Amino acid sequence: MDYRSSVEIYTEWDIVAARQLGRNEARKIGFGTVDQARITTAISELARNIYLYAGKGKIEIERLYENGVFGILIIASDQGPGIADMRKVMSDGFTTSGGLGAGMPGVRRLMDEFNVESELNVGTTITAVKWLR
Amino acid sequence: MLEVKRKYKEMVSQYVNSQSEMDLYSGHKLSRQFIEKEISPEEVIGIHKRTLKELFPEMDEKISHSFDFLIEVMIHYGLALQEHQSLIRKQEEHEMEMNIAAKVQDTLLKTKVPNFKGLDIGFVSVPAKQMSGDYAYFVSDEQSYASVAVADVIGKGIPAALCMSMIKFGMDSMQAERSSPRLVLDIVNRIVEESVDDSMFISMFYGKYDAKDSAFSYASAGHEPALLYKADEEKFVELDAKGLLLGVQSNVLYEERTVHLADGDFIAMLTDGVTEVRTEEGFIDEDLIKELLWKVKDEPSQIMADTVYRHLGEMQNFQLRDDFTIIILKKEDKKV
Amino acid sequence: MIFKKIRGVEMNLQVELLEKDSVQYFKVVGEIDAFTAPILKERLEPMQKVKGLQAAIDLSNVDYIDSTGLGVFVGFYKALKQNEGHMKITGVNARLKRLFEITGLDDIMDIEAEEGGDGDATV
Repeated sequence: MDYRSSVEIYTEWDIVAARQLGRNEARKIGFGTVDQARITTAISELARNIYLYAGKGKIEIERLYENGVFGILIIASDQGPGIADMRKVMSDGFTTSGGLGAGMPGVRRLMDEFNVESELNVGTTITAVKWLR
Repeated sequence: MLEVKRKYKEMVSQYVNSQSEMDLYSGHKLSRQFIEKEISPEEVIGIHKRTLKELFPEMDEKISHSFDFLIEVMIHYGLALQEHQSLIRKQEEHEMEMNIAAKVQDTLLKTKVPNFKGLDIGFVSVPAKQMSGDYAYFVSDEQSYASVAVADVIGKGIPAALCMSMIKFGMDSMQAERSSPRLVLDIVNRIVEESVDDSMFISMFYGKYDAKDSAFSYASAGHEPALLYKADEEKFVELDAKGLLLGVQSNVLYEERTVHLADGDFIAMLTDGVTEVRTEEGFIDEDLIKELLWKVKDEPSQIMADTVYRHLGEMQNFQLRDDFTIIILKKEDKKV
Repeated sequence: MIFKKIRGVEMNLQVELLEKDSVQYFKVVGEIDAFTAPILKERLEPMQKVKGLQAAIDLSNVDYIDSTGLGVFVGFYKALKQNEGHMKITGVNARLKRLFEITGLDDIMDIEAEEGGDGDATV
């Protein structure tokens, strides 16, 4: 079983800690500089969303190995308000006007796999994977 | 990808030695390949960083690190670029849908200029955007009655077009060619008042021509007055009638008036896209339209309408600010 | 102040709101057309839900209103009527006066022409 490490997100400093954790993992797995930066940016966005909209939550990082390929898994979870309109959040143009930065479409573009599960007033869990090519 | 990387290294290596414009031009061409192959800005910087490390192994580590900073920053530019491209694709899809919608509108609202004995009818309607908020409606039994309506929906584009379709089917259902103009407006007002959003209003001028006594009866729902040219007096008269815009409130009384046409008399029904033409010098003089019409008063109605459009269109370089509709009804000289 | 640059022409519309003796005075400066009408709408809309709102709109610094602009006034008028409010429009020049006459709106709205305007006094 692969080990999983995590950072709790309460303050803006925790976003930096999550970034650091993700970058170290990505480097150990063997990602190049540019991909390291992409993975870190994705973590950054996810952690910021938790900090801004849910107040608190967790970023977990896991090393993957499947069919002879290494990868990295990011899990961002919170018990916040949940996403009311998934379509809107996932569509281009929404993020730039809402000031969310790269937003969900950005994270999806930076990573190879992306999945959101959200329930109103229960919370949101986002998982994203990038494979080492 | 590998191929582009190799080329990039070659070009940079040449340029740092030559600093020639020629090498920069090669870079310009290479950048096209980057875009075609969808290589993102941060990837380009990654390639640059690696290139420098290979070309100058002695390079200061700190300079190398500075590129990591640049990569971080450029990732967001890359995402913005991708988002932009995706929005452009979406826009293209919308435009395609708009094209189809405009065609559907054309079919739905198709109106045939009646071939009416004793009355020469000309008609031009040009939308400012893809879908028009102006509407012209003709109905006639080709013998004794011909009715004409011109309408302008306040608000443009798709909502206006949908609204127009509703009105058309309302009018179709009431044998409008025989009904009196004030009655037609009263009914259309009820349809609009009941079914249209609070922020949408329509102005309409409605006229009915009776061949028996060459009488033109008309009523107006907040529309620009039509112009009547009286050939014997060689002057224009405004055909105005009191009446509120359609859709503001129910139970409106529309005034109806009647004029009698003599040979050579004509009526021009317009929308504000014609009367409120604006150029860099300001609004056109209201007498300009009369002058234009007067100059071509002996031409067939269609040529008259075309001439007014060509002239006013030219004044604004055919970049219409508003939908443009003009209808000309001319009583034909029976002796000819 | 909001500027919108359309086809090289600088378009702007200013709306000032001032309360006096429980009447809301809107002073509008500029041209109200398809491009600037949303600015006016944005300023008027939040007020229209107020029960029994007394609004006075001063158009003495407005030379031109197109049909979209007119739509904003009609929408505001209807909303106020529904909430037992009242809208008064003042300072309309000859051009605007004609527009309100043609559209029949002068019969249902409280409109006052520009003082010392074009001779034939108020509507």
